Amino acid sequence: MSEPAEPDPAAGRVGPEGRLETSGAEEGGLDTPPSSATRPTPPARVRVTAPRTGATAASARPSTRGRAPAGSEPESVYVRSLIRSQLRLGITYAAGFALATALFVLAIVLSPVLDATFVLGVPLSWLLLAIGVYPLAITVAVLYARAAARNEARYRALTEAE
Amino acid sequence: MNAAISYAAIAAVALASALIGFYGLRVSRTTSDFYVASRTVRPWWNASAIGGEYLSAASFLGIAGLILTTGAGGIWFPIGYTAGYLMLLLFVAAPLRRSGAYTIPDFTEARLESRTARLVTSTLVIVIGWFYIVPQLQGAALAVRITTGLPSWAGSLAVAVIVAVVVAAGGMRSITFVQAFQFWLKLTAIAVPVIAMLIIVGGVEPALGAAAAFPATAGPGDLDPYRTVSLMVALLLGTLGLPHVLVRFYTNPDGDAARRTTVIVLVLLSVFYLFPTILGLLGRAFAPDLVASGDADALVLVLPDRLVPGWAGDLLTALVIAGAFAAFLSTSSGLVVSLAGVISQDLLGGSVRGFRIAAVASSFVPLVVALATESTGLAGSVGLVFAFTASTLCPMLLLGIWWRGLTPRGAVSGMLTGAVLSGAAILGGGAIAAAAPGIRPFLEQPAAWTVPAALLVTVVVSRVDRRRRPRGTDAFLARLHTPERVR
Repeated sequence: MSEPAEPDPAAGRVGPEGRLETSGAEEGGLDTPPSSATRPTPPARVRVTAPRTGATAASARPSTRGRAPAGSEPESVYVRSLIRSQLRLGITYAAGFALATALFVLAIVLSPVLDATFVLGVPLSWLLLAIGVYPLAITVAVLYARAAARNEARYRALTEAE
Repeated sequence: MNAAISYAAIAAVALASALIGFYGLRVSRTTSDFYVASRTVRPWWNASAIGGEYLSAASFLGIAGLILTTGAGGIWFPIGYTAGYLMLLLFVAAPLRRSGAYTIPDFTEARLESRTARLVTSTLVIVIGWFYIVPQLQGAALAVRITTGLPSWAGSLAVAVIVAVVVAAGGMRSITFVQAFQFWLKLTAIAVPVIAMLIIVGGVEPALGAAAAFPATAGPGDLDPYRTVSLMVALLLGTLGLPHVLVRFYTNPDGDAARRTTVIVLVLLSVFYLFPTILGLLGRAFAPDLVASGDADALVLVLPDRLVPGWAGDLLTALVIAGAFAAFLSTSSGLVVSLAGVISQDLLGGSVRGFRIAAVASSFVPLVVALATESTGLAGSVGLVFAFTASTLCPMLLLGIWWRGLTPRGAVSGMLTGAVLSGAAILGGGAIAAAAPGIRPFLEQPAAWTVPAALLVTVVVSRVDRRRRPRGTDAFLARLHTPERVR
């Protein structure tokens, strides 16, 4: 685990591709390996280096990969099924939102009585279109966020049981 | 309109932004502070900041202007601007945060292990950013001209200079505070005048009767299915690829926080967009003359002064001017931060000095474009930027996150296809439509066919090219989708 879950503003942090390196030196020599992020009590000077491109990027990337499950067979099966279920969840909720919005708009369009009913001087059809879709979007969002977190909790339980 | 009040409001917002920016500078010390605020930003702060960054001239001025000119069709813009965050939540928020990349080009390179794909992405990000800043500067020009009587260029120049200075000095940590502050400023600045006007309008005789102000021919029933669907595709999917919005997701502590942040953003935007919508509806009854004069986008700025008499009207006007400038400043500075990050990393060696140079450059290129061109409706021009983003960055992001078959060549071909098709429709659409009027809607709202085309090309080329699938794909996808604690 190279990335602390708790925020740690003081310490120099190692970027995802080992981009940021902590070093006490003012200039030059800063080849601290990405894995040995030190956390001195007074914040150390942090140097910015260019993104590692080409060959260096390739050598830096394994630190990224190290974080992923180590490729043991059952784990990667769990990961694949997690990805599939999250994608299915996303598509289901997106389709649900699109369908609900379409039905809502269709109902407004097909009810001429709403054009003739004025509330505060504005036709009801305009008001409904102006207000109605937002509660729908928020509801879908809240339900999805819960379901997605549940999927992840299930995955966590499975991998910890291993 | 009282020019002194306008000057005071503009100066106050500029000063407040700069002060918070420089205060933030004292906190921002480390490199990751400078780029992504150390990922320590809490969901509520982060959501406010995203809202602050997102609500641009198009939202603050453009929506009311569009409802005034086109009627209920304009209501679809805020719906799309908001629902874009739903798509972001469903498909991008948590995985993108877990990718650990700083910018979209970083994501592309880490996912596809290809320099070429990175460079194409960077170029697109820069183009999108610049064209998104242009309407902000045009909005500033309009606001300054209407409220102070100064020439238009003064407004564009002022915003560009302030943004360049604040971003170059403060970096993103300070921008997070500035942006969060600006969301609440913008909400107050439009909510208070709208509520005041709603209280007062009962006693004011409207310029148009209800039936004339809200004819059924401009109502929700008069819906062009193709245009509406295409606009929704552009706005919903375009949000996924906006560089200044995506960079915000890297400041969440983890994937779950990224999702919670997005839900809060949805709530904040839903509340905000009620007010420009109401203002647009009020405008149809009380200020229909603005349509003929071509200043419909200034509706938000002039209506409080027309409806509310005396000093109260002056105060409300000052408030909306402050909110409008907060909109120009916050969106432009958010864009400049992300553009400067991309330019400095790819061209200038990634140093803090390079970031500062890039920040100045990213502010002044759009300034030149804004000064050279004429605004043709703020919400509309921003809508076209969304269509371009949806056709280019969105297919790469979606397939990169969810499909292990994506290859660098597939991604590059898809991005270029989307860029060429939507770019041609947007820039050359007027000329082509003159020759073939039948296809005008398809050129004016291209997203409904350019996005599927880009997706299709990406998938087909990736299939053909399947042996070049990046070796780290499985590990990278696992990282995107597995929750943090089990790693």
